[in-house]
Amino acid sequence: MKGLLEHMGIEPGRLHFSWISSAESTKFVDVVSQVTESVKALGPAQNFIKREPKVA
Amino acid sequence: MNAMTDKIRQIARRLLEEGKVDMVVGFRKGTVPMMSEPCFIKDSARVDALVWDGNCGINLANYLTRRKERMAVVAKGCDTRNIVTHIIENQIRREQVYIIGVPCQGMIDKRKVKNLADGEVLSVEEKDGKVVVTAGGGEKSFDRTALLQDNCAICHHKNPALSDELAGELVRENPDVDRYEDVRKVEAMGAAEKWKFFDELLSTCIRCYACRNACPLCYCPTCFVDESKPQWVGKGQDPTDTRTFHFLRAFHCAGRCTDCGSCERACPMGIPVRQFTKKLEKDAKELFGWEAGMTLDARPPLDTFRPDDPGAFIK
Amino acid sequence: MRDLKIAKTDWAKGVEKLFGPYRVFGPKKEGLFHNFARLEKGEAPDFSCKNTRLSAKGLIYPQTEKMFEYTLDPNKPDHHVHKEPVKDYSPMAVLGIRPCDAKAFTLVKLNFDTPEYKDPYWIKNYAAATFVGLACDAPCHACFCTSAGTGPYDTAGLDVLLADAGDFFLAKVLTEKGEKLVAAAGWAGAGDAGAFEAKAKAAGDKVVSKVNTAKLAGKVTNDLHAAPFWEDLAFACINCGTCTYLCPTCWCFDIQDEVCGTEGCRLKNWDSCMYPLFTMHGTGHNPRGEKAQRVRQRFMHKLKYFVDKYGAGIHCVGCGRCVTACPVNIDIRRVAEIMNGYEPGKDCAV
Ligand code: SF4
Ligand code: SF4
Ligand code: SF4
Ligand code: SF4
Repeated sequence: MKGLLEHMGIEPGRLHFSWISSAESTKFVDVVSQVTESVKALGPAQNFIKREPKVA
Repeated sequence: MNAMTDKIRQIARRLLEEGKVDMVVGFRKGTVPMMSEPCFIKDSARVDALVWDGNCGINLANYLTRRKERMAVVAKGCDTRNIVTHIIENQIRREQVYIIGVPCQGMIDKRKVKNLADGEVLSVEEKDGKVVVTAGGGEKSFDRTALLQDNCAICHHKNPALSDELAGELVRENPDVDRYEDVRKVEAMGAAEKWKFFDELLSTCIRCYACRNACPLCYCPTCFVDESKPQWVGKGQDPTDTRTFHFLRAFHCAGRCTDCGSCERACPMGIPVRQFTKKLEKDAKELFGWEAGMTLDARPPLDTFRPDDPGAFIK
Repeated sequence: MRDLKIAKTDWAKGVEKLFGPYRVFGPKKEGLFHNFARLEKGEAPDFSCKNTRLSAKGLIYPQTEKMFEYTLDPNKPDHHVHKEPVKDYSPMAVLGIRPCDAKAFTLVKLNFDTPEYKDPYWIKNYAAATFVGLACDAPCHACFCTSAGTGPYDTAGLDVLLADAGDFFLAKVLTEKGEKLVAAAGWAGAGDAGAFEAKAKAAGDKVVSKVNTAKLAGKVTNDLHAAPFWEDLAFACINCGTCTYLCPTCWCFDIQDEVCGTEGCRLKNWDSCMYPLFTMHGTGHNPRGEKAQRVRQRFMHKLKYFVDKYGAGIHCVGCGRCVTACPVNIDIRRVAEIMNGYEPGKDCAV
């Protein structure tokens, strides 16, 4: 899924996957800060966003 | 008439006469050039309607699900792989289908022919590796290999993966042909360039869903794009919605697509929709060593977990 | 009605002059095929294609069209009110539409503009358009317009009809709207009605595909409905709807709301009788749940119900699009022949 999204032009670094057990609180914090950092670095998404349907 | 057609008729007649099957699913001659029409035959007196040629590119595995009859089906390499996929996904039972396997020389790309012909194509004849195209502006002859559908030109599995009887001699496979040149080209692009590539690719899509409907893999009773409660995706011509459809359609084919090209062949606008599925098909091969529909004895990678599954994307 | 002769150089100059008084539309190659598109000043309509892949119907009846908009935001003064979206109904010049597509509008009009019901969006768009037709001198082999109540030089639904005569066009100005357009373009050279007629006759003779439809009106609806050939005819169909989306006469639509936050709108989208959802009831029951029923519906509507309801021939102009674009070769010509020749009780050769 990540592969295909990136293949069609979603920036690497916008989509993240992680497996965190309910006992791994520190890992959770780490991953979340990493994710936010990397997404902030990319800035707001420009693609794959729809606010209002485009009509002919 | 060619030898393959002859043999298919013979087999069909025998199966129907012996009562081995209730119907034979195959192709009959079309009403316009470069078109053969999927059909079924129940009466052995009518088997002479069946034909085989380079215009049988629609995947007949698509016609087998949700039926009660015992069926024989004329199936080329990719069709048999989709039949295998149907069997392991419990859409049909092995005993229900008798596979008349066709070693395949590749299908003719009707769009290529139209582009190369002078004017409107009036008739197309295949003979000894050549294709003679008669058009409004005159006759031209081409090497058959120059007119193949893109997916057929790079096919690794022309021979049936599973069959009960063959309708012809096995053909030589071409395992060295590079299947993924186009995918690598896209992989090498930057994110913005990729986005643009697919935007342009989809710009003329009318969302008729012929690509989805021509595909044997899409057998869900109601597709997510058609649901309106909840409305997963808008139904209009908005490009975001169109892309959502294509992305998810492709993703649902991950590890299942056989690159039969039925989707691309069916598209009325000539959109190369395989550019989505091929990426996943390449990944399935590279990450899991998996090619869909080659065997009844293994579960596909996306419905099993193995400790050594690649997990580099998971943090 | 008046005959004109337009030299190709004057044609190009005249088209230039239409930008301004008109929004100009014409065939344009997009991807593999030509389609009608809005042209920019300096762009010429491309007359090199036999016909556009999609019919011209989308110009008047877009695939997706906003019916109204609303906001649910209580801070906005017009919240919870249906607002008409702003749309451009200024004059459009449609250049190079084929006679079959123009005729098709007259059939669609029977549904969208009736004494009881009027579809305001369609009617306003249609009123805004001036149609400059381009006659077919080399009809495709899949076209059967002359069997479908029209023809390569049919003037129905057109304001001007052009015939390509090499260095110049022979033209017929057919309506007031047409007069306005040729005046705006500055085309005035006197034409040649005799030469026009001769070309028309020659083109009509070139339509090779003929379909018999004369007996359809006399058939008993229920006999056709119950005929044994549907399963065979429908088998190959993948219910993709290509036939109906490409067809100039298919008019069915679906209505969907789309909302983002507090802002929303209602859309009218093309729909197709080939889709299972088309007839799905709120209860979950689907009266046309099977593929064969849907295929039967398409052909029964085009070739029987429409014939009986309007007395205006078949619901088809013989443009051949569905014939060539259907991915599995379901051919309306063949179906029409079978229906036309069907006698209950007799074996029908399918
Ligand atoms: S078949 Fe072609 S036009 Fe239709 S939805 Fe698929 S890509 Fe779009
Ligand atoms: S996605 Fe296309 S190529 Fe793949 S199996 Fe389906 S129809 Fe065949
Ligand atoms: S008749 Fe052909 S084009 Fe129409 S829905 Fe069936 S398969 Fe598609
Ligand atoms: S039914 Fe087919 S041939 Fe007739 S008008 Fe529609 S697309 Fe054209």
